[in-house]
Amino acid sequence: MKKIIATLAIVLCIAGTALAQDELSFERKQAIDSLALEKVRDLSKYIKIVGSKDTPFSEANRVIDRAEELFMNDAEIGVSSLSSNQITYYRVRKYLEHLMRLNYDRVEIEWYNIEYVSDLQRQPDGTYVGVITIFQTFRGYDAEGQLQYKDTTKKDITVYVKRKETQIGGRTIGFWDVLLGDMRVKETTNR
Amino acid sequence: MKNRITTVILVLLAAFITLGGNTSCKSKKKLAKEAAEAEYKSRSEQAVKDLNAILDDETLWSLEEKEARVQSIKDWNLQNPEVDDLLFQVEKKLARERAQKEEEERNIEQQQQAQAINDVLEKNFGSIARAGNSSQANRLINETLELFESANIPVLIIINQNAGFNDYDRPTTIENYLNYLKDQKVSNNKVYEIKYNANGKINELELIKK
Repeated sequence: MKKIIATLAIVLCIAGTALAQDELSFERKQAIDSLALEKVRDLSKYIKIVGSKDTPFSEANRVIDRAEELFMNDAEIGVSSLSSNQITYYRVRKYLEHLMRLNYDRVEIEWYNIEYVSDLQRQPDGTYVGVITIFQTFRGYDAEGQLQYKDTTKKDITVYVKRKETQIGGRTIGFWDVLLGDMRVKETTNR
Repeated sequence: MKNRITTVILVLLAAFITLGGNTSCKSKKKLAKEAAEAEYKSRSEQAVKDLNAILDDETLWSLEEKEARVQSIKDWNLQNPEVDDLLFQVEKKLARERAQKEEEERNIEQQQQAQAINDVLEKNFGSIARAGNSSQANRLINETLELFESANIPVLIIINQNAGFNDYDRPTTIENYLNYLKDQKVSNNKVYEIKYNANGKINELELIKK
């Protein structure tokens, strides 16, 4: 009987330790929350650069590569228009290449109110998943500088944060890999 | 008779001079010997005193002053077994102190060099982020890459430190990081640690969130 109790105590102790290791401290959780938000802000700058008609083609392509690295392999980005209720989803590279070739003489893209709508939550496989919402204002101008099109779109981006390890200089580095998932259009207005 | 008296006086005078001079010469040699012995004794005592003081760290002399003192004691060439034994011990001690001092100086020099490179890197990071146009940023990027072994050396960014444990962002390369600064137009990380190869080029860079 004593042996059984002792064994149970050891098992509970090990299970408790494992559970405690899964729980992130407040500071670590805050750090990965900020990291995921930062990746979305990085994306907003990349989109602005790719969309700008002042960006040289080679630079735009380099930035597309960087932007694509922020996403999961099969991630899609939704595109909406005031003229249609339809939302079209493109693979990230397709979306960015399309953005680069938009038929305007000048394009302005601004992202704002970037914040979590659903906090990062730990999934059974250890990945943290959350949703960040953004508002995007798009303006397209003609050669005379006249505004041709403007809309504001609310988009939700799913973020996945997973702890991974890699070898650098002979040592193991544990890092948080933030990957963006689909970017879903929630609402498009002419504001 | 007169001649005889004169001869005797002359002989006596010569004898006096001869004997007197000899006595004076012997006295001078003795004095010199005594002086030399006194000086040897005094130097030996001083040498023993100084060497013991150096051995027991009871002096306020700098390492250079101690080395100079040892050299002047060696120059006396006292051939005193006690002094020779102390000299042997003191020279070993000073050699250790010299090696330690040189090591400290090397460390300080390395720290100063590392600080200088830190300063250059952080200045360039800020300048790339604030560059007025793409070509200016690219020129600064190329300048900065000169400090690195290659454009592909890894850059680690610490996002959080807790109890000696670091959380990192996904590792990147220095070329991508510098382009990131150009694209994002903001430099939010500072240098945390730099590793160099044998040629003094950076082969690993660790940054930390400001």
